[in-house]
This record gives sequence, structure tokens and C-alpha cells, in this order.
Amino acid sequence: MEITIREEQGISILSLSGRLDLASGATLKDEIKGLLDKERKLLHLNLAQVEFINSSGLGVLVSIMKEVRLCKGRLTLSDLASYVQEIFEITQLSHIFEIFASEKEVMDSYQSETVS
Amino acid sequence: MATYEYSYPSALESEERMLDDLQTLLDENSVVGRIKNHFMVVVSEAFTNALVHANNLNPERRIKVVISINKTRLSADIHDQGRDGLEGISSKKPPTSESESGRGVNIIRHYADSVSFIQTRGGGLKVSITIDREDEKITDKAK
Repeated sequence: MEITIREEQGISILSLSGRLDLASGATLKDEIKGLLDKERKLLHLNLAQVEFINSSGLGVLVSIMKEVRLCKGRLTLSDLASYVQEIFEITQLSHIFEIFASEKEVMDSYQSETVS
Repeated sequence: MATYEYSYPSALESEERMLDDLQTLLDENSVVGRIKNHFMVVVSEAFTNALVHANNLNPERRIKVVISINKTRLSADIHDQGRDGLEGISSKKPPTSESESGRGVNIIRHYADSVSFIQTRGGGLKVSITIDREDEKITDKAK
């Protein structure tokens, strides 16, 4: 799996591509830990290029969500391919993550939170 | 029916190797789209279970994967050399919404048309999974 990171309006946006499974999940966790250590607590994962996810990958995302919550941060996801969205629904994880259709919707959501 | 057999050591990197092998095999046999994704995920769930829980990431224990492909069905047998066998599957508590593991068997049961867990004489588990290719035709028509 490849991970590219950019900053936009104070949000760390991680674009993932490839497979999200047991081995690649460990790499993602390390990247997130590095960001949280630098006090970057607003994190967004763009999953548009994730072509495969299994329960190990989902477990990693749950673990990351709990870490972010402990740090009083926020984790959002967007651009899930239909197959990835389906796995989230089967496992009922779509209820516990903040999932948006696009990055634009995510940025709007962060902005409206700042305004309110 | 074409049958393909693979064997992997129980090391973390074997998961990627197995998925690479499976993806290549499915591409070569023109298995594409949703059924390819569904088959890859069910095989990976059984494989990860064998790798981590049954074989405990012990590289001396191997995982055998047998894939069969024909016009109507995709099948996989995943054999481990663990000691938990059926007990390891049946004693698992259902995951809570925030559990980090325990969803794999549910995912297999959701996508597979049949799944069986058979304890072998040596104590290892053989997980047999099939997905009917007819289901994909029905799904494609519904789109």
C-alpha cells in the first residue's frame, strides 16, 4: 500500500492506494502515530484508491479511530469504492466512522464545525 | 475444473504473496469484477485466520491453499497446522462495534455460498469455501 500525506487547512489528508490488510495496516498505524505525536489531530483518510480491504484492515482503522479519540482529535474517511463501502456496511462499521462521499464534503464539514 | 495448489510459511509477508498469487490466478482465468473481490476477501479472511490464530505466525507451520475454478463456481480450501482447530472458531466471542478483530468469519459467511470448517486428524483446520458464479450474473443483471 502507498500512502501520500498532505496538509490542507490544518487537516492531515492521507491518500491510500492498494491493499489495506494485516501487513499494510501496520504501516498505516505507524504513519498515524507519527502525526499524532506531532499534535496533528485532525486526520482524513481518502480511500479512493484502496482496491482491497479485509477484516485486518478494518481492525486497523478501528484502532486508529480509538487512538485519535484518545487524543481528542477527529478522523474522517471519504471516497470509498463501492466494494469497500459494502464491507463497511456488512460489518456495521459504517455507523461508527464519519464517512463522506468526497474530500470536498469533508472540508466543508470541518469548516462548518469551526464556524459553529 | 482447474485446480491450483499453493503452500506458504506462516510469516506476515505470506499474506501479500498469497493475495498476489490469487489475483494473478483470477486474472488469468478471467474472473473479474465483484466476484473477484468477494472471492479474494473470503480467501484472505480464512488465510489470515490460519496465519495469525491457528499457526500463530510460526514460520515452521505452513498454510496450504487449494483453489478450484470452473464455469459455475470458485472454491478454496485453506489448511492450517494449528492446534485450536474447531475450538478456536467456536469459542470466539462476537465482535463489539469497536472490536479490532473477530469480523473475518462473518465476512466469509456473508459472501460465501457455502463454508465448512473441518478438523483434520493432525488437529489443523480445513476451511472450505465456495462462491457460485451464477450469483455474479444475477448481480450484474440487477445493476
